Amino acid sequence: MRTPGLVEHFFRREYGVLVAALSRRVGVQHIGAVEDAVQGALMSALETWTIGGLPHNPSGWLFRAAHNRLMGELRQRAARRRILERDAPEGIGAHESPPEVFLAGEVRDDLLRMLFVCCDEAVVEESQLVFALKTLCGFSIREIALRLFISDANVYKRFGRARSRLRKHPPRDLGAEECASRLPAVHKTLYLLFTEGYLSSYAEMAIRRELCDEAIRLAALLAEHPVGQAPETFALLALMHLHAARISARQDASGGLLLLEEQNRKLWDRQQIQTGLEWLAKSAQGERFSRYHAEAGIAAEHCLAPSFQETRWDKVAQCYSLLERFAPSAVHTLNRAIAVAEWQGPAAGLDVLKGLEPPTWLAGSYLWSAVLADLYRRCGNAQAAMRYRDAALESAPTEAVRVLLQRRLKIGAVG
Amino acid sequence: MPKRNYLCIQRSQPGKGDKPSAAQMQEMYAKFSAWKEKFQENIVDMGGKLKGGGKVVTSGGATDGPFVETKEVVGGFMIVSAESMEEAVEVVRQSPGVWTPGSSVEVREISTA
Repeated sequence: MRTPGLVEHFFRREYGVLVAALSRRVGVQHIGAVEDAVQGALMSALETWTIGGLPHNPSGWLFRAAHNRLMGELRQRAARRRILERDAPEGIGAHESPPEVFLAGEVRDDLLRMLFVCCDEAVVEESQLVFALKTLCGFSIREIALRLFISDANVYKRFGRARSRLRKHPPRDLGAEECASRLPAVHKTLYLLFTEGYLSSYAEMAIRRELCDEAIRLAALLAEHPVGQAPETFALLALMHLHAARISARQDASGGLLLLEEQNRKLWDRQQIQTGLEWLAKSAQGERFSRYHAEAGIAAEHCLAPSFQETRWDKVAQCYSLLERFAPSAVHTLNRAIAVAEWQGPAAGLDVLKGLEPPTWLAGSYLWSAVLADLYRRCGNAQAAMRYRDAALESAPTEAVRVLLQRRLKIGAVG
Repeated sequence: MPKRNYLCIQRSQPGKGDKPSAAQMQEMYAKFSAWKEKFQENIVDMGGKLKGGGKVVTSGGATDGPFVETKEVVGGFMIVSAESMEEAVEVVRQSPGVWTPGSSVEVREISTA
């Protein structure tokens, strides 16, 4: 929706920036008060700006409003505490005057710092993600629940756990060393954020796309900063751009999912592919090869292939082998089987999976059964194909996926 | 037909509803701006939000409120110009977001005679 005079997602972006900036000033242990103050400032902006028009510097206006609210609240708390424990020392920030300027570089640093704060190893991964979505991306509990497909109560619990951990163990100013040790977790969070946006086959595509954009924005910030300037960061950015470039071609006019084979490659965003390739080139330095490198390599092969048939499936299969080595997972083996099937035929693809005992979560998912159904069908084993097809249809998570599977796994079809 | 001015008084019940998220606020802002643009001819004075508290002055002196029942608070006002009461009501009816659930707007013609 058009917002006159404001950039897209202005309120959400400002939310993250303000929460990060203010938490830095008063300490992450006050995250609750910080969030309330920012929320209040945005509300009063909504009221004031709609009536009186936009101020000259909306971001500055918001910062002052949120800062004043926060200081007022903390002062009150300190006073209350002093009454309770007569001789307790002054509360934090009680006499701090608002800083007049709010530098662009500072904003960037604060956001990044908050990202590192979110990635506390003592907090489980999903909760890190929830915390990041809430504090950095300005999503409400309800919106996070919708995006992560978990209940409101679950989001609330995860957020609460992450917050209480930070309250009890507020991070000291994270040093370069600590940042470096948290960098993998930061990468992972950004990766999860992106995948949540990309892999979902849910109808509200526009909203999902937003998660991808958010992840790219944060990763780009990270790549600009000394703490984040690592080949992995560049590879992650390459991977994100290369996938995002194809996003609009993944659905047909009515929102149904399209197979890679069916996608109109003309719809792929050439410019974004170019950006992705530039990051990929930049990531090819140093001695570390990460899973992000392997995944970006696969995405690049697809983006560069003039057609499905002309894809360099041998290279794709190789990248999956590498990926299996860096991040062992049966899903990667499954994907390699698909690439090998395209490269050397369906029987070779089946061979890859032979003897592989999939973990229960994968064995029960439609991915596993669908790939096996497809490979058996192409090998002419109708009976096995049928068995796996039924299992795949049964475990399809959404109608869109079910329709796609039905089309793809039609027994008797040649392909 | 000459236009007449109407005073629109917004009342709401305090403490209702969840806090909107940043994205929702963005949407409210956008909708409100669009509404303002659409009816800019009609909006004479955007008025403003009224703060809580105040004084009631009578011949007996000034007292603190309450002005209306405590569960209903006059939250804001604005002045709209329209050819008829119906048009004024339409302008208010189409205004989004600001009138949250449980709130109402009273529209009164300002007499010039």
